[in-house]
Amino acid sequence: MKNWLNTLRTLIWKDLLQEWRSKDMLTAMLAFAILSIFIFNYAMELDPRQRAELAPGILWVVITFSGTLGLNRSFVAEQEQGSFDALVMAVPGLGSIWLAKQISNFLMMMILILIVLPVYSLLYNQNLFIPGLMMTLTLGAWSFSAAGTLLASMTAQTRMRDLLLPVLLFPILMPVNMAVVKAGTGIMTGAAVASYQVWLTVLLVYGIIMSTISLMVFDYVILE
Amino acid sequence: MLSWNKNIRLLAVFSALLILIAFGLVLYYAPVEQNMGLVQKVFYFHVSAAWLGMLAFLVAAVCAVLYLRKADLVLDAYAAASVEIGLLFTAIANFTGMIWARPVWNTWWTWDPRLTTMTIMAFTYIAYFLLRRGLDDPLKKARFGAIYLIIGFATVPLTFFSARLLRTIHPTFFGSAGAGEMAMTPAMYQTMGFSIFAFSVLFVLLLIVRTRLRLSAQWLEEQEAFQQEEEFGEVTSG
Repeated sequence: MKNWLNTLRTLIWKDLLQEWRSKDMLTAMLAFAILSIFIFNYAMELDPRQRAELAPGILWVVITFSGTLGLNRSFVAEQEQGSFDALVMAVPGLGSIWLAKQISNFLMMMILILIVLPVYSLLYNQNLFIPGLMMTLTLGAWSFSAAGTLLASMTAQTRMRDLLLPVLLFPILMPVNMAVVKAGTGIMTGAAVASYQVWLTVLLVYGIIMSTISLMVFDYVILE
Repeated sequence: MLSWNKNIRLLAVFSALLILIAFGLVLYYAPVEQNMGLVQKVFYFHVSAAWLGMLAFLVAAVCAVLYLRKADLVLDAYAAASVEIGLLFTAIANFTGMIWARPVWNTWWTWDPRLTTMTIMAFTYIAYFLLRRGLDDPLKKARFGAIYLIIGFATVPLTFFSARLLRTIHPTFFGSAGAGEMAMTPAMYQTMGFSIFAFSVLFVLLLIVRTRLRLSAQWLEEQEAFQQEEEFGEVTSG
């Protein structure tokens, strides 16, 4: 068990270090995210009175779109440099490779969220660092990376690659979108906890189902 | 190898008969609904088509799970054929629903859970075929397709549940009937039951035919590849 955790940590560290050195993925994701906020500002005429209700929806769209951009890159190093075979040979148990990828994608999403939230708060003079909203976004990010990592590992092996991921991912993510936006709106407008609690349950259930399924089927993706 | 089987022809005739009878029942046996008038008659085929859309997804998901366990390409052909039929019938359900909704709800479309779930399901079906198209290796195609079908199938109930938490105006017929209840006479129930049965038989027929077509295409491809290899061998050795 201790050995296994060590492997997991090393693998996650590898992904993060690689990203830290190149900064390809995060730079592109952040630039895309902030530009989308600007586009939304002019597309929807974000009126100060409507902002509180709109903020979670806009934030989530921005986060999923830029997250998809990042997911597309998450298997590129393994694909282009063929390091995947080496990993499979070096690491005992394919499960840790899988889980590490999912966790590092999740951490990437969290970094994105932690940068986008203050930027949005600053631009609209509205404090978004509410524990409830943070929790909702964290749950959403986990569900997103659970479904996204599995699908990205498949689309990375297709001919269409980047083109295919959103088409495959968005219909699957529909319950997450609804739940994050509904729970977020409830929290932002200061509604009673009981009125949006069910959406948090939906997020939790979705995260558990998706993580379980991907742990069950991932070796069919890696299998050569 | 895969010749046109006599039993399939029999099944085809049988299902054509059933569909014709269902048409007859809808037109002449089922009474005209009091409030909605003639347009309500689209409902019998609408419900049957929607049922097939879901049945097809279920069959495909079961085939997908079995495929991952047994790695038999026949199962993959069944899954893909089922998705194909499901997509067709989901589209039929959506369009017949629109024809009905325009006069009754006074709108072509509403963000109702059933409508939303059906459409998202259709998009999952479309994505499934796009994924298959992007892969060349038939084994990988089958494996990835199966995985996608399984996660798609797991999320459909959650999508429906989530969408249902928001209010609905769609009429419900089974179980807890809310405000949108539609009173149905026995003749209406019988007609609906018969249409669903007729459509289910049609589904079985289509599933068999499309699967055989897929397997034949696969077989032909293999033969061609084999032949090309042989010719290539002759050229290099001669």
